[in-house]
Amino acid sequence: MDVVRDVLDKSVIDRNGREMGRVDGILVELRPNQPVHLTAVLIGPAALGDRLHPAVGRLVRLIERSFGVDQDRPARIAFAGIDAIDTKIRLRMTITETAVAAVEQRLRSWVLRLPGSR
Amino acid sequence: MRKLFNLALGIVTSIGGFVEVGSISTSVQAGAEFRFSLLWAVAAATMFLAALAEMAGRVAAVSKRSMAAAVRERFGFHFQIVPLGAEFIIDTLLLTAELGGAAIAVKMLTGIGFQWWVLPLGLVAWLVLWFGNFTVIEDGVGLLGIVTLSFVVAAWQLHPDVAPIVRGFVPSIPHHDLTRYAFLAVSIVGATVSPYLLNFYASGAIEEKWTAEDLWINRLTAWCGMGFGSAVAMGCLVTAAIVFGPQHLKVDTYEQAAQMFVPVYGRWAVALFALSLGIGCFGAAVEIALNAGYVLGQAFGWTWGIDKKRRDVSRFVAAFSVVLLLGVGIATIGFDPLRVTLISVALTVVIMPLVVLPFLVLMNEEEYVGTHTSGPLGNGLLATLTVLGALMAIVVIPLEIFGG
Amino acid sequence: MTREVRLDRLVGREVYTANHRRLGRLEECRAERRGTGWVITEYVIGAAGLMERLGLGVRLIVGLERAAGYVARWDQLDLSNPDRPTLKCAIEDLQRR
Repeated sequence: MDVVRDVLDKSVIDRNGREMGRVDGILVELRPNQPVHLTAVLIGPAALGDRLHPAVGRLVRLIERSFGVDQDRPARIAFAGIDAIDTKIRLRMTITETAVAAVEQRLRSWVLRLPGSR
Repeated sequence: MRKLFNLALGIVTSIGGFVEVGSISTSVQAGAEFRFSLLWAVAAATMFLAALAEMAGRVAAVSKRSMAAAVRERFGFHFQIVPLGAEFIIDTLLLTAELGGAAIAVKMLTGIGFQWWVLPLGLVAWLVLWFGNFTVIEDGVGLLGIVTLSFVVAAWQLHPDVAPIVRGFVPSIPHHDLTRYAFLAVSIVGATVSPYLLNFYASGAIEEKWTAEDLWINRLTAWCGMGFGSAVAMGCLVTAAIVFGPQHLKVDTYEQAAQMFVPVYGRWAVALFALSLGIGCFGAAVEIALNAGYVLGQAFGWTWGIDKKRRDVSRFVAAFSVVLLLGVGIATIGFDPLRVTLISVALTVVIMPLVVLPFLVLMNEEEYVGTHTSGPLGNGLLATLTVLGALMAIVVIPLEIFGG
Repeated sequence: MTREVRLDRLVGREVYTANHRRLGRLEECRAERRGTGWVITEYVIGAAGLMERLGLGVRLIVGLERAAGYVARWDQLDLSNPDRPTLKCAIEDLQRR
């Protein structure tokens, strides 16, 4: 498996097929005299911001904190939690077991207040 | 049978959705200043657009990914942020211009200043996106847009000589003002090949659930739809050429442009022009705002879709709402929509190479187009388009300064 | 001493030879399953990775069917300083792409 080509930036879905976002970052473990171990994928705009520049990542975290959606984000999903790596990355867990949907849920409460929201 | 009906509808709605503030402005000016000699630019730009749209549709049908999704996955976020950021700025400017154009159209019908109409029009656009679904929006915009055929009818009724028109399809060096001619030629390309159209077309293919079996529909819709649509832009150019050409008129406002309908439509001239401009621009505004939702949702991996329950796609709703708000805000300030149009058209040309280059890669990858990869002909075409795009990107700013 | 780092920050970094010459950029990491986890077994460096990213279409136009560059085994690259990946072997010992 080519990590950059097959995992990074790919779409992630949960056990039930619900969209969870994209792989915005990947964590690895460096062990002396051993091959690098793939630890977890990161999902969330803060992880994406980090890729552009650490300052951007910090700014995103600041914004998330001010809106109160910074808990457990960016979502960190262990590689052991990945069921399949195909055109999409399917996880063994459901979306509700992560903090991935925090922004969506916060905005949802605003959307529901609009008349005619279906 | 049903597929044929949908195909016909798809082509018809493309006609209606083709003409908007960019294509009207550039066609009118091209016709008024250079008569028929820029018809080749409209034809070439349309073929450019149709080729790219067909490719975007192919990727969407085979891999179920829009351009924004495919670029993110294939090239990574580091590459994508540049065209993504640029497209966002261009689309916001274009949205501003479309809202401005629609507002001017309403002003022409009511006499009340165009800045007053920007907010109501923006609100109506938002309501269309809030309550509508893909079929209603696509077909509605397209069918209402049939009124733009008034450009074609006008050109027909003016009985132009065929010979000079046919000559207009062959590129030539003008007798005067080469810089202005080149600027208009490049602007026509920029006005026609809007990046938002490509992602919107691909997103539509996904909303309509096209598969690899629908590739023939994709080809027909892309080529015939854009082709017939360009007939409207050409009708606009020809009419302007016949009515304004002899006086070598430089058209600076939409009110002036409306006069080109007088010989054919008499006292209905302004109303008909205003309807065509207004509906064309309003439809484009709705599509641009919707596309902002598509692009951000697809690039960042949100749930998206205009056919989904709004409460399930809150970030998508927020995206198109914020973009509409931005467009309304900037348009209300009162910038001349014609000028904003020309700026966004020029910027479109500047980022053109970044838009075309990904196609060169994606069209050769099984993961994105399955077995329907580009042959040497397709690759040759794309390479040519990339080079042309790069050349235009280099000359457009100087041309804008000296010829704009 | 194990350290956790962001792979996406490692990718794109310039890789240096043992005598501080630039080799190319770290473009791709090949991983394999080992037991319940994944480990990186190879690193693709330099023009190879970039050209691979650009794809067959561009390579055909540019006239390169086979891409240039190197592939290093996991034990040939020293990542103790993640900001400056360094070869632990001679360039000649690397696979060519």
